[in-house]
Amino acid sequence: MRRVLPAVLFAAALIGLWQLAAELKLINPIFFPSPGRTFGELYMQVTSGRLWQPLGATALRMLYGWLLACGLGIALGAAIGSSRTAREYLEPLLDFLRPLPASAIIPVAILFLGLSPAMSTAVIAFGSLWPVLLAAVHGLKNTEPQLVELCETLEMRRSQVLAKVALPGALPDILSGVRVSLAIALILAVVTEMQASLPGLGQNILLAQRSFRSPELYAGIVVLGIMGFLVNNGLLLAERRLLRWRSAAV
Amino acid sequence: MIAARPVGVSFGSRQVLADVSFDVPSGQFLCIIGPSGCGKTTLLRVLAGLIAPTSGEVTADGKAVRGPARSRAIVFQDYTKALLPWRTVAGNVALGLEACRVAEPQKSRRIEELLSKMGLGHCAGQYPAQLSGGMQQRVQIARALGQDPQLLLMDEPFGALDAITRQGLQDEVARIAAEQKTTVVFITHDLEEAIYLGDQVIVLAAAPGTGAGRIAERITVEIPRPRSQLETREDPRFLAYRHRLFGLLKH
Ligand SMILES: Nc1ncnc2c1ncn2[C@@H]1O[C@H](COP(=O)(O)OP(=O)(O)OP(=O)(O)O)[C@@H](O)[C@H]1O
Ligand SMILES: [Mg+2]
Repeated sequence: MRRVLPAVLFAAALIGLWQLAAELKLINPIFFPSPGRTFGELYMQVTSGRLWQPLGATALRMLYGWLLACGLGIALGAAIGSSRTAREYLEPLLDFLRPLPASAIIPVAILFLGLSPAMSTAVIAFGSLWPVLLAAVHGLKNTEPQLVELCETLEMRRSQVLAKVALPGALPDILSGVRVSLAIALILAVVTEMQASLPGLGQNILLAQRSFRSPELYAGIVVLGIMGFLVNNGLLLAERRLLRWRSAAV
Repeated sequence: MIAARPVGVSFGSRQVLADVSFDVPSGQFLCIIGPSGCGKTTLLRVLAGLIAPTSGEVTADGKAVRGPARSRAIVFQDYTKALLPWRTVAGNVALGLEACRVAEPQKSRRIEELLSKMGLGHCAGQYPAQLSGGMQQRVQIARALGQDPQLLLMDEPFGALDAITRQGLQDEVARIAAEQKTTVVFITHDLEEAIYLGDQVIVLAAAPGTGAGRIAERITVEIPRPRSQLETREDPRFLAYRHRLFGLLKH
């Protein structure tokens, strides 16, 4: 409790400043509503239930793309990380594709898949693939050689080595990759909604901006912030549970 | 019986072992001692089948060793990297049994048996990071015993432990090896440990010039078992062996 107190105080101070700036009309209220109006709008959206549909749509969009990226990233990463030959063929290609901004492939994806949810999922999956994939490759490449020798003396099959030794050993790396991926997935969910007019928080924010409903615009941003915060902390919690053994010492 | 028929190992142009031959009859305890870098670990890896010798061959009961096998278990020198840190003590011991496809009711029973044999019964649920070095080394030994090896290969297993822990584990390993009639090849830096544990002691030394490890001396230790930390170490024969080998290990 004591550890979150400073953060809460700081956030409250920022909101206070925001309120002050709005009251002094430092910026035109059409662009810059007060926190009172913003949170009032948010409260109304929650009580009227208007929030849930776009929130759910964006969350699902993010989740589908992210799950796809995780599945693909871990499977590909396991293949690449555990085989030197696969690494020699694929690593340079990955290094070429990795810095490609995911938003650059949106036009390509629209060309092939139209302004569809499938397009959005594909873009999210592509963009959020890299952190998991690279983390999995890195984690598996660094499997303790002595443990690999142990598996050999136990005559374990490759699949057993992967499941019992290599993947659990790479889990800390994979989990942090997975967390970065989720943040990217949320960003791309919003971006693709804006680009392709798919229903969700991203589209709502864009529509609010176009019709100068600034409290709604800001409320949307606040919701996205809260969502990102909760999701990240949820994953951190899961990580701590899965990696209990690391905190077991002391 | 394990036999090395002049084994030589080179890494590139560097010769690490040259002309190493010995026999270890079944149930015997062979200790290999030698200065750092003379090729002890390399020899152990050849015996395990993890690397193929450049020349010569290793046979187990007359058959050439062509690769690693469950019948030859290793206890690694560096215990901090030899256990799965995400598995508990019981889970680590289970790994060997899983690889041997021991199914459930027997598996739990075997784990319990192995843990109590190594004095680990009370920490079955703990993670390796929660254990002392000596306890971690016990877990490695328990896991190795779980694969029911005919040959137990141990690479300076007690090198990093304090003297008291070390002596306790020496007696346990000697007792278990005798009980199960396991053949043991045990590498150590410590001359007294080698004589105390071994039926046979081989001294490896780097040949002048090439630096390749070769056998400098071998002795048969004729002190009856069970041996005792106090009396055996004061036995005149023990002291005579020690005298004979001591000079070879000076640098
Ligand atoms: N894979 C390898 N490639 C090249 N050189 C190697 C390899 N493995 C070992 N060597 C070299 O072989 C020599 C013997 O190494 P080894 O590990 O067998 O020594 P050791 O007797 O076990 O030493 P220590 O007592 O320090 O454990 C060393 O000079 C080492 O650098
Ligand atoms: Mg060594």
